[in-house]
Amino acid sequence: MKLLREKRNELQEINEEYLAQTLKGAKILHDLIRKFIENKLNKADLEQVIQSEHTCDLLKEKYTEVLFREKRALPFLVEDRYKILMNVDQVNDKTEFIARFMQVYPFELYSDIIDEFKTLCESCMQTVELLINCATLIETDFESAYAKTFEVEEIRRKARKARFHLLEVIYKKSEEPTRVYLTSKLVTIIYEVANWAEEVSDFLRGLIIKYPSR
Amino acid sequence: MSLSTIVIIFIIISVLISFAIGSNDETMATIYGSKTLKMKEILILAVIFAILGTFLLGRNVSETVGKDLLSFTVDNPVVLTILISTSIWLIISSIFGLPISTTHATIGSIIGVGLLIGGGGGVNWLTILEMALWWILSPLIGYIVTYLAYKLIHKSIINKLSGFRNYERAERYFSYILLIVICWTAFSRAGNDCSNAVGIVSGLQVDLNFILLIAGLSIASGIVVIGRGVIKNVGTITELHPSTAFASEIPTSIILFFGTLLGIPLSGSHMLVASLVGLSKARRAPMSKGLWKIVLIWLLTFPAAGIISVILYFPINAFV
Repeated sequence: MKLLREKRNELQEINEEYLAQTLKGAKILHDLIRKFIENKLNKADLEQVIQSEHTCDLLKEKYTEVLFREKRALPFLVEDRYKILMNVDQVNDKTEFIARFMQVYPFELYSDIIDEFKTLCESCMQTVELLINCATLIETDFESAYAKTFEVEEIRRKARKARFHLLEVIYKKSEEPTRVYLTSKLVTIIYEVANWAEEVSDFLRGLIIKYPSR
Repeated sequence: MSLSTIVIIFIIISVLISFAIGSNDETMATIYGSKTLKMKEILILAVIFAILGTFLLGRNVSETVGKDLLSFTVDNPVVLTILISTSIWLIISSIFGLPISTTHATIGSIIGVGLLIGGGGGVNWLTILEMALWWILSPLIGYIVTYLAYKLIHKSIINKLSGFRNYERAERYFSYILLIVICWTAFSRAGNDCSNAVGIVSGLQVDLNFILLIAGLSIASGIVVIGRGVIKNVGTITELHPSTAFASEIPTSIILFFGTLLGIPLSGSHMLVASLVGLSKARRAPMSKGLWKIVLIWLLTFPAAGIISVILYFPINAFV
């Protein structure tokens, strides 16, 4: 009994640390994108996002190890927790990819898309925040976590709208095809974070529905 | 034949019976199915409680096999034939991992010997018919009780839980209760079931503690060597969690306990299997595809045990 309790507490601690680190990485990226919009970005700072992803990877390994150390404890929860972990990890991977992409992106942002670009970035950040909230709440409160999943969906719609507005403007540009291509790519990979957050929230909603009807 | 040779032969027969009983013991199945413990831990517990149960509760050896079901005097060859043929059928079904009712196998053997010795009038059919009612009712009761128990537990507890941590806590409590009840069941079952095995050697002036120890070890060996297949098969009839295992195991155990007190011949194996089917229906969860094999072996138990007893009677009669 004591062993199981220790394991659970350890799991909780690592899980909370992992989710907090994921949110931290997303926030760093968000701040750096704001600087990028204002043309004040120091590309070396993007390393912080990459470092944050590495920290998350280490926490993920630690979490997995503790999760599977004692298989006897409620295997269905172990499996579902592992799936949540792996899904949230994709958010980290996507933020890292954006950071690496921005490191090599050689242009400034078109001035006529700045406002919509800000909207897209804000929406993405919000979806990540809501997802992390949801993943935390699912441990203690299904009802609140369930409500959060719909909020993620709502914000993702906003992000999608912003994405297509941006693409519409970008695709009409006739100068520098490389810049057009890379900017549209940047918009798409940023939107992918919101899109993935929504997919994960859908998965969490499924779990919330599944558990009371087990 | 010297007395010591007779003693050794009867001890071997006692070991065979105990081993057969252990090999078809599905008591721990829901613990395995709900993954509360691993198979290794389950076997350790099963061995401990089989030995303890036999040693501490197995001293009441007054049971006479078949006395109410046969219309002629039951002598030693008849008792031995019934017990050995029951054991053989138990072992055969256990090898295939299929749980059967020991009572049904015993009655099948009794009918076989009864028909062989006394013809149609050798068996007390009226008593058999009375018991047959409970053979049909046992699975039906198991099914209905578990269906209702699951719905009740689900509505009053599971539905009200919120968050993984609450689930974990609730499931842990269910697993503790389940574990305690099943250990107690394994303990008392070993004590009850060993009576036939111990009974045949009890009149041979052998130390009872020694016989009980041998019987306990044999039951434990049966569980470890063959019984794990039965445990696995029954435990995977449907997906189990500690709470659902609790819903299928506890009410049927309580009914079985009171049924035994009232002298009603309920079959624990049939009740458990039917209760797991009831559980899967209540949860609308899928069932194991091998369920038909269990039903088939139930139907085969009477004729098969009967045929084995007919085959064995003459050599045993000649020997004893």
